[in-house]
Amino acid sequence: MADIAGVNGQREHFRVVGQRNLPGKLSYAIAAGIAKFGNDYALPDMLHAKFLRSPYANARVVSVDTTRARALPGVADIVTWLDEDIARISSHGESFGPGARPWLDNIADQEGAEVAVIVVAEDEDICDEALRLLDVEWEVLPHVVDLFRGRSPDAYVIRPQVRDTPTFGAPGMGGPPNPPKRGNVAYSNVISGDAEAGFREAAHIIEYDLYTPAFAAHLPNPSGSVAWWFDDPYCSEGGQSLRIEGAVRERMAIAMMYGLPPEKTVQEGLFMGGKYCDWGLRKSQEITPLLAKRAGRPVRCVNTREDMFDFIMKQRYVHMKVGFDDAGMITAVEDDSIADGGVWGSSSFGNVGDLTQGPYNTLKCKNVTQRMEIVDSNRGKMYVSGQHCPFNWDSITMAIHLIAEKLGRDPIDIARLNLHGPTSQDDINPVPSFEACVEAGKKLMDWNWHPAGTKKLPDGRMHGVSFRYQMCPRHSFSSYNCKLELRNGVVHMPTQGPLFGVFAVECNAMVVAEELGLNYDDIQIDFDYRETFTPVGGGSDGTTASAWAMKECANILKRQILEAAIEYANDPPMPGFGHGFGPPPPPPGPFAGLTPDDLDIVEGRVVLKSDHSQGAPFRHATPKNIFATYSGRPPLALWVTGQMGKQLDTMNTAYCEVAVDTETGEVEILRFGVVADPGKVMRPISLESQIDQVMYFSQGCQLLEDFVYDEKTGVKLNNNMIDYKKPGMLDVPRVDREFLETRAGNAAYGSNGISHSLANTHLAIIAIYNAIGVWVDPPATPDKVLKALGVI
Amino acid sequence: MPSNVDTARSVTFTAETASDRAAALIDGIPVSLTEYRCPICGGTFTGYADLKSHYATAHEGAAAPVVAVLTLNGRNCEVLIEPHWTLKRTLQFRLGLTGAKHMCDKGVCGSCTVIMDGRAVLSCQMLAVECEGRDIETIEGIAANPKWRPLIDAYCRWDAMQCGYCTTGFLVSAKALLDKNPNPTEQECREALAGNICICGTYPRHAQAILEAAARLV
Repeated sequence: MADIAGVNGQREHFRVVGQRNLPGKLSYAIAAGIAKFGNDYALPDMLHAKFLRSPYANARVVSVDTTRARALPGVADIVTWLDEDIARISSHGESFGPGARPWLDNIADQEGAEVAVIVVAEDEDICDEALRLLDVEWEVLPHVVDLFRGRSPDAYVIRPQVRDTPTFGAPGMGGPPNPPKRGNVAYSNVISGDAEAGFREAAHIIEYDLYTPAFAAHLPNPSGSVAWWFDDPYCSEGGQSLRIEGAVRERMAIAMMYGLPPEKTVQEGLFMGGKYCDWGLRKSQEITPLLAKRAGRPVRCVNTREDMFDFIMKQRYVHMKVGFDDAGMITAVEDDSIADGGVWGSSSFGNVGDLTQGPYNTLKCKNVTQRMEIVDSNRGKMYVSGQHCPFNWDSITMAIHLIAEKLGRDPIDIARLNLHGPTSQDDINPVPSFEACVEAGKKLMDWNWHPAGTKKLPDGRMHGVSFRYQMCPRHSFSSYNCKLELRNGVVHMPTQGPLFGVFAVECNAMVVAEELGLNYDDIQIDFDYRETFTPVGGGSDGTTASAWAMKECANILKRQILEAAIEYANDPPMPGFGHGFGPPPPPPGPFAGLTPDDLDIVEGRVVLKSDHSQGAPFRHATPKNIFATYSGRPPLALWVTGQMGKQLDTMNTAYCEVAVDTETGEVEILRFGVVADPGKVMRPISLESQIDQVMYFSQGCQLLEDFVYDEKTGVKLNNNMIDYKKPGMLDVPRVDREFLETRAGNAAYGSNGISHSLANTHLAIIAIYNAIGVWVDPPATPDKVLKALGVI
Repeated sequence: MPSNVDTARSVTFTAETASDRAAALIDGIPVSLTEYRCPICGGTFTGYADLKSHYATAHEGAAAPVVAVLTLNGRNCEVLIEPHWTLKRTLQFRLGLTGAKHMCDKGVCGSCTVIMDGRAVLSCQMLAVECEGRDIETIEGIAANPKWRPLIDAYCRWDAMQCGYCTTGFLVSAKALLDKNPNPTEQECREALAGNICICGTYPRHAQAILEAAARLV
């Protein structure tokens, strides 16, 4: 068990943490239909806004005549990219995209891109009509939606103005400088060790291709915002304050965008919908303050669900070359990738960032060469996304299965052989968490691996299985500024909203209750946008790392309560005096002459450690209001130490079992299995839900989902929820889950982040290979399966 | 600050407070119209005849809104509706009910589900003017009815929600199922909710919640 810094890191017994069926603090509002998301706000006298959106994949607006649109009854305002108000604003939301770009310009670099004009009108229908009445002169330009065409030397260069290489991550580490950008292609190479030497050592060399299709946004709800300006009685100096709802958690970004002090930027809504690592702000979430200021009325701007198909998880082609010895030990890896760079402003987190966060760090083999071409495209935008790591991971998952196939060995044994030890790549010891996961996983799945194409089910379908490992990383991106208050005998936990689809606030409340000897319902959550604490550094980060900091804070509060109880007992108020106009002060507890070490807190009472029957409830123990604060984060977060993959403390494993009908090409996932060690399970149901989500997501991108573009026009052909199929209730397979608690993480009680590390692009694809002996690229639709089998 | 915007500071959402707030939303819907607002230019009129007259002169050729009486959560209310408006849009922008959610707008995702004459229907696919005379039940009505507290409780106990955006659509479908089949099997729950899409992956928890609620509702 790891030595976890901080108080009570090694707590053995839990009353609250780990409990099931504790409702979320906002769950009743959601279930009752009273939860207001950004696009739910409808105000009296509210105007609506819409952007001109490009019908072309790549085009430039040469000119716009707005005369006819302005004359339309109900049109309140029209703003173009040439307007000074637009030129003055710039985005401050989360973005790691290269190159400064005006907030709105005349360049349309994907179909559906917001470009050049915004109309504001009494309702959305009038907006639509006004957009139709714009006289727009377009210059239609050649486009790139096929990465292979885009990387050819004679391809049209779609972004001649942006020549820098995406830099997120650490390209060039240990190798020569990256080549300069050529045409649409930027380069990022990461070289460690000596791959050529590794291949010379190898007894076997395999080469294979791995393809990851583009798939669509994880945002369930259409983004948008409503903004208005008001006279603020609490902040009367310097003009009106801004109220904006729907800009998710980006109140500060909005304040910076409009040059406002934070106290004049109000965002009280508590619900932002899902934000699963898609942290970018859409323009509809940023522009409403400006439009509301110009109109002197509230303005609403909300995307349609079709508009939300502007986001892509990037398409990638990988060619792998892996050398290994007769035992299955990998000696060298070469990974040559062609990745989608997306439109101007896309984050490189999801492509270049992979190069230093990928799976190869978990191997004993250090001879790894990664060469990536990033191709500018007109396909879509990649916002900052932490989904990068899991997707790249399956390049090595495939290697493990191919080595196993070649040597007639179980892939779990090949993984075990190649996995380095807990402390470093030079550590040859087993990883206890991995060993525990695979032992439980084999039982869970009745694991009996068979060579490809050798097992037929009684119903005639072919049976396939696959296995995959990942790590539950030591999270913590940022420090957490925690505050707790004992007020009138009740413990308050102030926190910012809005909340998204994880139950991090609840985990924090559970930890506070645990440490203070209270029940979950005893913790009063005070949602207030002005507070500094917000457990949203990412799903697992916000759950486990923030809870570590909150645990420290709870223990500071506990100490202060005990000290206050003794102080009150030592110096009680004189009877009849000292209580002003309020009720008489409560009698103190039996703590006179004691020290805090003599006391404890049990079930909401301060008690003697030696006799729990002797004590007083908080309200009697001290009449004081007590504040405790703590700022910090758990130590040794891998994002900070740069050891991602090189230290292995808590792991997870996933399994897939499929049946393939070789007559129809239909693939059925019989079940997924997950054995995960998040160190310590904080809130079981939300952890289960998180795992179900990633497994369904993985199912979707391997069997169903694929962005389809018309090569000729560059237009998206399935950017709606009819043609772009997401798994539904009857589509999803069984997910068998088992959790281990090795307490080896760095966060609260030895927990670690599981995040979306189980998300994968090839677990089912490998199982299909194991069933039929031929590879099918995702999504493995029946026609592709039959084609791979040579049936059609 | 506009008067109809609530503030959220230090709000505690319990079964009781959430139910009370849902009931307050329903109670806050006027039974009859006292103001007629032109959707094109924003002008307001005290009578419908005045609005129609305004249309004839100021917006010649445009289809004027109509006054319809909707039966919503057991109460009749007059609503000024543009002929092409969906029930979903009307609920949000005319009646202030946002439990039915704006999502696909194509009848695919189930986020805007309401119950009409006992059947779960998609409010984004129903013209509001065609809903006159039909019994419409929204999530707010279900939440405000103590009879359905076990279903709301079960959804909260089982986290049959994650980001929460699609949740109400599922819950309305679940209620429609239980109206017809008070003791469904797990498979029947799955089939009844097959028209609702959740990108957060909450699928298994809905059946758990419905089965628990069914046991408590009997």
